[in-house]
Amino acid sequence: MNAREEILTRLRATRDPSASLPDLRPPATVPGDLIALFVERATAVGIQVMKDTAHTWVASAVSELRKRSIRAAALWDDPLLSPLAAALESSGIEVISPARHTSDRLAEVAAGITTADAAIALTGTLLLPCDDRRPRSTSLLPPLHLAVLPADRIVATLGHLFQVLHTPLPSALTFITGPSRTADIELTPVMGAHGPTEVIAYVLMD
Amino acid sequence: MRQDRIDFVHNSERALADPTLHSSVRRAMVRFRELQRPVIGEIEEWQALREYAHRVKLHTLSHLDQYLEQLERQIVAAGGQVHWVRDGAQAGRVIADLARSRDDRTVVKSKSMTSEEIELNQVLEAAGCEVVETDLGEYLLQLAGDRPAHIIAPAVHKSKDAIAKLLAEKLGVPVYDDAERLTRVARDALRRKFLAAGVGITGVNFAVAETGTIVVVENEGNARLTTSLPRVHIALMGIEKVIPRLADLGVFLTLLPRAATGQRMSSYVSLLTGPRRAGERDGPEEFHLVIMDNGRTAIQADPVMRESLACIRCGACLDVCPVFERTVGHAYGSVYSGPIGAVITPLYQGLDVAGELPFASSLCGACGEICPVKIDLPRLLLELRARVVQAGGASWAERLFVRGWVATMARSGRLRLVAPIVRLLHRAVARTGIPLPYPFSRWTQFRELPPPARSSFRERWPFAAVGRRR
Repeated sequence: MNAREEILTRLRATRDPSASLPDLRPPATVPGDLIALFVERATAVGIQVMKDTAHTWVASAVSELRKRSIRAAALWDDPLLSPLAAALESSGIEVISPARHTSDRLAEVAAGITTADAAIALTGTLLLPCDDRRPRSTSLLPPLHLAVLPADRIVATLGHLFQVLHTPLPSALTFITGPSRTADIELTPVMGAHGPTEVIAYVLMD
Repeated sequence: MRQDRIDFVHNSERALADPTLHSSVRRAMVRFRELQRPVIGEIEEWQALREYAHRVKLHTLSHLDQYLEQLERQIVAAGGQVHWVRDGAQAGRVIADLARSRDDRTVVKSKSMTSEEIELNQVLEAAGCEVVETDLGEYLLQLAGDRPAHIIAPAVHKSKDAIAKLLAEKLGVPVYDDAERLTRVARDALRRKFLAAGVGITGVNFAVAETGTIVVVENEGNARLTTSLPRVHIALMGIEKVIPRLADLGVFLTLLPRAATGQRMSSYVSLLTGPRRAGERDGPEEFHLVIMDNGRTAIQADPVMRESLACIRCGACLDVCPVFERTVGHAYGSVYSGPIGAVITPLYQGLDVAGELPFASSLCGACGEICPVKIDLPRLLLELRARVVQAGGASWAERLFVRGWVATMARSGRLRLVAPIVRLLHRAVARTGIPLPYPFSRWTQFRELPPPARSSFRERWPFAAVGRRR
């Protein structure tokens, strides 16, 4: 008998139908303003949150990049980012499109710019999918991750998120709550263990 | 795998004799508890969530065959491959074969207790692969040839100075004295490994049967790199990691980070479903899930101990355990330490090897109260103690003592007769301070014997009056 059959046979013999599966729990309600809660919680984990509008965020983002003397940025191919791509090019910052997001290239780029599909207010979490236009490493290899989040994509809790999550899932769905961090040396928190040292989230209010 | 008997008392002497080790672990445990308390306290429904998670886990553990088959179907449908293995040796062979067939034999690994359990690194190295641990704590331990002391904070027993010297010696960098510089040194060294690696190995926090999704929870980003850059991703899981529904993650991901590290959410949670899809720029071209038994079906078949398989490896029971705090993880002689280790190590390795571990507890109950999936750890520890004694594990002295105790306490007449004699002896010993003979010396060797009370409880309590009032 192969290992698969051996394991399954043993498990079948000890099934216990009396242990029932509880019904899904309805998520707890969260009182108050979800956007304000997201801002508070995301800030608490070290995300720099910028409340902005669809008209003005691009100029602000360009100046954030210039402030850090960033010469090239890797962008997801997302309609929400098109105005930024145009603005970056006209201000002399090279835009690297997903077709060129190889790991070697991304490892040299100072900023990765993505959107977020959703966010969780209670934990300050950004949700990033992936597909051919939205690589995984864009938000991982560059030391700065800048994410754009329309405010109406914020849900209250993890429970609410799983109520609205579409299946089939993408090959990777990533929950990002702050910069990469470690506390493995005497529990001293250090940002930028393996991933970004800095995360900026633009919350678009309109 | 035969192993020598784990001598907990002997092992713990090292930690007890090392004040630096002792104080660094103590400080870490106090810190963990301080972080956990507020983020657990703010969830009003915490107790209901624990209860729910417990029921979901017990249901799943009672229908594992069904959910594992569903998981397999979904993984295959998503383009992944599933390998079933009986034990660590077979897991090692399967993973080594997968790794060896690549041109690039550098393997990057993100922290996995299951891989520690089967000593996977040694197997892969013997097969000619270079294996690099990429969690910072695990990387430091690998450089030092040391083993994890804590499920969540593996290098908690290492001081910053020791780490600075270690990195200077192994990587040829200056001896830095701040955690940030030291982290950067490790990050740079590991980044090069990530970019070169052909195979990435991770553990699994949860595997969702419904969607064929594996969930990996972390803070550093090394698991994301491990599952995004190499061409092959191999995930290793014990059979108990499966959960039925995607939406159950809403509860489990609320419980795990708060109990483990006192965070509302870990920095990164990756939900991975199969390999990369057509047109995608990154992610593995091949995804392999290795489903391992290694003694788990035997625990699953034990109706009392089955509950221990509900563990989500958060490490919270270690953080609150007064015995763990003083003896440090290594004393448990196994990769799983603390209260949960004291339960599962005897189950995996046998009572003859690890029968001493269930006694490494004061039965204060803190572990049972903190456990986010509500495993009744004190009850399991007691049950294992009973099994050790039934198997003849108690010494003649202890058996004689307990027999005498039971005979005396069972009849109030006998107690009345014996108690004054014992009190006289007790008073004499306490006053003179003469050392007691074995087996009582095991108690008095480390503790002062307080003098007995002037009068006994029975003498002071007005039994007759209580009887009348009723």
